[in-house]
Amino acid sequence: MIRLQNVCKDYAGRPALSNVNLHVALGEFAFLVGPSGAGKSTLMRLLYREETPTRGNVLVGGVNLTKLQPGQVPQLRRRLGIIFQDYRLLPRQTVFDNVAYILRALGLDEKQVNKRVNSALCVVNLDNKGDAYPDEMSGGEQQRVGIARAIVNGPPVLLADEPTGNLDPATSLEIVQLLERISQRGTTVLISTHDQPIVNAMRKRVISLRAGEIVSDVDSGVYDDGIYEVETKG
Amino acid sequence: MRQLRILLRVVIETMIGIRQSGWSNWLVVSILAIALTIFGGILQVTMTLKNVVSAWGSQLEISAYLKDTSDPKKVAKEVSQFPEVGLVEIVPKEVSWQEMQHSFKVAALSNPLPNTLHIRLTSAENVEKLAPKLNLIPGIENVRYPLKVARKITEFRHFIEIAGIAVTAALSAATLTVIGNTIHLVIQARHREIEILSLMGVSHFYIKGPLILQGAMYGAGSAALAIAVLSLVHLYIDPYVRDQLVSFAPLLPQSLEYGMFNTFMALLGLGIAVGAGGSAWTSGRYIKI
Repeated sequence: MIRLQNVCKDYAGRPALSNVNLHVALGEFAFLVGPSGAGKSTLMRLLYREETPTRGNVLVGGVNLTKLQPGQVPQLRRRLGIIFQDYRLLPRQTVFDNVAYILRALGLDEKQVNKRVNSALCVVNLDNKGDAYPDEMSGGEQQRVGIARAIVNGPPVLLADEPTGNLDPATSLEIVQLLERISQRGTTVLISTHDQPIVNAMRKRVISLRAGEIVSDVDSGVYDDGIYEVETKG
Repeated sequence: MRQLRILLRVVIETMIGIRQSGWSNWLVVSILAIALTIFGGILQVTMTLKNVVSAWGSQLEISAYLKDTSDPKKVAKEVSQFPEVGLVEIVPKEVSWQEMQHSFKVAALSNPLPNTLHIRLTSAENVEKLAPKLNLIPGIENVRYPLKVARKITEFRHFIEIAGIAVTAALSAATLTVIGNTIHLVIQARHREIEILSLMGVSHFYIKGPLILQGAMYGAGSAALAIAVLSLVHLYIDPYVRDQLVSFAPLLPQSLEYGMFNTFMALLGLGIAVGAGGSAWTSGRYIKI
């Protein structure tokens, strides 16, 4: 579902990613870990075509993003659900309208919009908060709205860039468990994080980046300052 | 059906954008309305002046004096074939002689005057085209025409045309700048929102469409205000100006005034085009999706 082939990304001659090769299969749940400046966010931005690689190929769902025309980018992003550390909700719109926005922009009728939004809000346990505004909610609730918005269009891939960065440990665990439940329904989930306790609690695939290079890729791994054990990916 | 719903949503988003812009809407519409009122006034004056000058031009006459041997009707028919000719009038030599005798004390001579054709032109600038052609007609002895007056009228008409274009260009540029800056402010205020929409996969049309429509609505609203102001001017000031014009040049035909409807349509068209164009340009420049 996600494939990076010999990907390099330089910023003004300084390498942010060097020769990265990666494959994440359909329905897989994986963490992308590493310290600040390791290249996690750059890699995520390549996946939703916010950036293009200096060299190499980035493929999502079989589409080579390096060959994508700017006009085709919205189509790509509709097949991705993107979750951000700072939630990025529309502050002047209710929870329902935030989640419904993309569906309305795609021209769905209100009946379908209601059905899909209510279903997405049910998944994140916010079915009774549709009329609330983002600033009336806690951080964890806002992030769940962000997740509902990301899944409402039924994307095959969810990309979460530091989704627990602004949350307390208990809420962080809830959010990641929610993403795991979504993954179990067949969605590929890639989470970039440096939240060590969460990664270690989940025991999922852990891809570790350091100074722009993948230094480790482990199934059922832990994030332990670069020490990864258990089954090494072949 | 889906496309219609998207269009409807674009209109709704436009309305939301306008509502969120608050007082700045009034500021933009007022500034644009002033620019469009000036433009409309100048357009009205220049087009009316152009009509007046054209009417002067069509009053110009070429006098063609015929040879004694030629048939005036035949020559008149030949002359009227030229596209530059508006009207040909035959003045028989007897009539000219009678008029001369009536005006001056003339000795009892036999009539020395030739038959004459008075040729009116379609436009003043045709004088120099037509005169040489007339000279080549065998039945015509001599041609006289007011060359200096024709040249002055043509020059004045060209000046009015160029001045009109220059004023239109200057006001369009000013209007584009005002619209562009306003939409830039809207984009800055909604920068984060636009970024979120882009990351959600909302189409470029859906993001930029409401901004372009907002600009077009500013243009239409401003044009409506300008039309209202010009209508009042037309109602209360124009009759006075018309009276002055008639007393200044009584021989000019009536209804030389450029139609107000044309001016209003030009204002509406320019307002919408400049509003939408300015917004499209600003959106393209500042929204990087």
